[in-house]
Amino acid sequence: MSVTYIDAIREAQETLLREDERVFLYGQDISSFGGAFKATKGLAEAFPNRVFDCPISEDAMIGLAVGSAIEGMRPIIEMQFADFSSIAFNQIVNQAATHFYRTGMPIPITVRLPSGGTPGSGPFHSQSMEGIYAQYPGLVVVTPATVSDAYHMLIDSVKLDDPVLYCEHKFLYRWLKSKKINGDYLPIGQARIARPGKHATVVTYSAMVHEAVRAADRLQADGYEIEVVDLRSVKPLDLDTVLASVARTGRLLALGEAFPWGGVTAEVVAKVTEEGFHLLDAPPQRLNARDTPVPYHPKLWAAHRPTPESICEALRKLLSF
Amino acid sequence: MPIVPILMPQLGESIAEATVIRLDIALGDSVKTDQEIIEVETNKAVMGVTTLCDGVVSEIRAVEGVSYSVGSLLGFLEVTEEEVTRTGVDTTESLEAKKDPQPDQKNDEEENLHFALDGDSYEEDPSIIPSVKGLPVPTGVMGAHYISPRMRARMNDMGLREADISAIVGTGAGGRVTVEDLERFLDYLDEWPSVAASPMRMAVADAMRRSWTRPLATVGLPVLLDRALDHRRSQNPKPGLTLYLLRALALALAEQPMTAGYLIGEKVVHPRSFDIGVAVQVEDGVVVPTVRKVDQKSLSELVADYDDLVDRARRRRLTEEDSSGGIATVTNFGTFGLTTGTPIPLPNETLILGIGAGKKKPVWSDQVEAFLPATEAQLLLTFDHRVVDGGGAGVLLKRVAALLQQPESL
Amino acid sequence: MTADGEFLRSAFQAMLKARILENKLSSLYKAGKIVGGVYLGRGQEAISASLGTSLIQGKDCFAPLIRDQAGRTAFGEPLIDCTRTYLGSVEGPMKGRDGNIHRGRPEMGMPAMISHLGAQVPLIAGMLFAKRLKGTLAGCVGATSVGDGATSTGAFHEGLNLAAVEKLPMVVVVANNQFAYSTPNSRQFACADLVERAKGYGIGGFSVDGTDFMACASVVGEAVRLAREGGGPQMIVAHLLRLGGHGEHDDGSYVPEAARSGHYGRDCIEVAMRQLVENGFATADEILAWQDETAEDVQKAVAQAQQEPSPDPYRENWTALSTEFPISTT
Repeated sequence: MSVTYIDAIREAQETLLREDERVFLYGQDISSFGGAFKATKGLAEAFPNRVFDCPISEDAMIGLAVGSAIEGMRPIIEMQFADFSSIAFNQIVNQAATHFYRTGMPIPITVRLPSGGTPGSGPFHSQSMEGIYAQYPGLVVVTPATVSDAYHMLIDSVKLDDPVLYCEHKFLYRWLKSKKINGDYLPIGQARIARPGKHATVVTYSAMVHEAVRAADRLQADGYEIEVVDLRSVKPLDLDTVLASVARTGRLLALGEAFPWGGVTAEVVAKVTEEGFHLLDAPPQRLNARDTPVPYHPKLWAAHRPTPESICEALRKLLSF
Repeated sequence: MPIVPILMPQLGESIAEATVIRLDIALGDSVKTDQEIIEVETNKAVMGVTTLCDGVVSEIRAVEGVSYSVGSLLGFLEVTEEEVTRTGVDTTESLEAKKDPQPDQKNDEEENLHFALDGDSYEEDPSIIPSVKGLPVPTGVMGAHYISPRMRARMNDMGLREADISAIVGTGAGGRVTVEDLERFLDYLDEWPSVAASPMRMAVADAMRRSWTRPLATVGLPVLLDRALDHRRSQNPKPGLTLYLLRALALALAEQPMTAGYLIGEKVVHPRSFDIGVAVQVEDGVVVPTVRKVDQKSLSELVADYDDLVDRARRRRLTEEDSSGGIATVTNFGTFGLTTGTPIPLPNETLILGIGAGKKKPVWSDQVEAFLPATEAQLLLTFDHRVVDGGGAGVLLKRVAALLQQPESL
Repeated sequence: MTADGEFLRSAFQAMLKARILENKLSSLYKAGKIVGGVYLGRGQEAISASLGTSLIQGKDCFAPLIRDQAGRTAFGEPLIDCTRTYLGSVEGPMKGRDGNIHRGRPEMGMPAMISHLGAQVPLIAGMLFAKRLKGTLAGCVGATSVGDGATSTGAFHEGLNLAAVEKLPMVVVVANNQFAYSTPNSRQFACADLVERAKGYGIGGFSVDGTDFMACASVVGEAVRLAREGGGPQMIVAHLLRLGGHGEHDDGSYVPEAARSGHYGRDCIEVAMRQLVENGFATADEILAWQDETAEDVQKAVAQAQQEPSPDPYRENWTALSTEFPISTT
């Protein structure tokens, strides 16, 4: 019996509903239908009047969440796709994100963003929005890459008093399996060494952690030991762990699935250059998706995002400097 | 007859697999276009797999109750050519022909070879061009001068200068020395005996390293010392021989000060005052006190100042002030019995005048028409070739030699 | 249904306070004492105060917008909150982190508005939704007000539709003051009366002359009662005219003379005064006494806020998160 990434998300919500009466779920098709990805399957039946279908009104969904948080609730909002959160952008970045700073009252809402690409999903069902939200003060942005993190980080997100964008990767939903959910886990804001190494550091998050590990496994044959840092949360960013890794290796590749202009990888490179210039033995590199909308066709899609091949190539360049 | 595969369709986003619940077909059955032939269940819904054309079931691979990933082969249909044309379906043949095209670039072969040999089970597309561009080392092919921030920091940690790592053969791009190269070198040196360098040694090393960044050249000339030595014997207190050189150099420089010029950017800076230093050997190093305004005082006037400075230098009692502001230095390495050398000026000066040990040798005298014994020594001048050329330095050196032949005028 | 005397006296006093306070703010702005904009509710006091007075602080919730000084005062916001926020006192509810009308006290059921119009509609729906989940919704009402401009936003539509779907006891007042900044109704919407939209949402709809104090009190009272008693969301469209520019930086010269001198150009406070006296709810002397009292209160609030320290960038807690990272693992 194994647990998938999406099982973990479902189970975390079940745990939260069971243990915290302030928690409720609000989203499109999430009630008896169980959600577009079945992340809430069976929860409406198990928890009557706690799991609600809502109109296709992303703006109003987050507005409602913020209002309910003011009244002491801890809502979990499911965006059907991260892409659609653009409609709720105003409520997220202006209403939720500014509230604590402006009024002193925190807004403990968790917005689940089914993120990232899957083959055939196209430009509007594949986006990675973490960099955009991380840019705004007042938001926490988490990007779990493992089954255990998917579980524990969702629970921790709801427990945080601040608004959290929980970026869950759709590609990992059923692809990623684990024997069980680990009991030990790191708090939000702490990165993890997904694979130890000494010749170069790949700093990444979410589904790209697995691509980076594959690339690192291939380079092992050539005698390179690549360290992979899983950021886990992109905001706050655990610079200490990143710098410690770069201190071991002297070489940095920041890897992400989002678009290449700015974003998390740019922030990682900027921060490391700023605070760890003396640690770098080669110019830090970034590898992201291409600068086009996410394409529909699986072949285009596979070449749009970083792959083990392109990661290997980037690492070889970095290692040969 | 063409064969059309029945494949597990993509039944929704993020659906990776589906379970076959019921087979509604049997081997040999005739099926119609859009007929639901296999019932499958995803974690989202129950759906029917349909056919794309009319045909006859020629093989069934799907088993009820088993889960298949998207794209898996569930069976085959035998279809007529006309039906293939009518519906445009893919046959096993046409699918084979449609396999991934190879990239146009021929020179990619080697790179792709690596991936092909990888033995990885992931389907790879060799046409993927990574977005990371080349990382050129900021130097020419032979230039190993690039030092990365990390190398620089590590070298600073260790108190290392570029000169210290010149022994390392770099393995990085363009032959640059990487941090790994440096660490290996340091590990290697650990096996050799070593002692800590004294502060004096470090100070001299620093001055010489900085000085050596310039194109320095040395010219030399033999000079007879007898007249100066005779003159010296007649004086009380006796000036050191080095003081004669100091005075001669100062007078010669006062006549052609541009020889001691200092090139800064596009400007040659000339001496403001003819203050000349004298190199004094102390334990584990050299110090250079400066004698002030040497061109304006006679030898006898300079003796006391000179002796005091040299004495304090030997006792290591010089102040910062005592050793600053010189425009040239005189070094008498003859005191060590050495006859020749290539002295190096201080980093803030452009000239150094050295003298080797005097040797008795026969010198032809036109007056007595015979060889007479004389004391001869090598006079050596090192200069910054950016500022002065061999000719200019030679004029200065000859003038110094001439002045030494008229010690009474010093 | 006619509002009772106590309601009318109370609402009118809030209108008076708002007007006197805002006149003071205007003069402070013109004296260079206020940084940023000053946005007044002149001409909208009757509808705003009627709403604020209909709500019960500590039970109901109210998300005021830009021209709701009267409603805020009626709901129970102290004058000092306003002067402190406008004058940038660190003692104010926003501590200098936000200014002017962007203020609130979410803990007392009055969230702080953001500048994005329509955004408070779903927010109020959320507060009511939470009360329902907590089991405290019975007898509660949530209200917000918007202008004619906000009715064109997606948030307004999404919020009202969602509130209708959830059957929440919500009252939305649309103060149609005929201009969104400088944009006239003709460029804002194409229906004859915005109240027609209520039908589309499946909610209650009311239309009222926003310059008629007694009518406002009566219509708002009725809408709030309906919502409170389980009738679902109610929308009230008040027809009036903004008696001034968008803010004090704007002279509103684009408002045609015909509108200024027309029916809606009349001052609702003068109308209210006449109505109170004519119907025997208050005497002229009483009103004069209220005026004097209010002027004194306003002056005190301004004086106090002016004397208080402004925020200190060196002592400011520059964090937008309440969680302290890194989270301790022990």
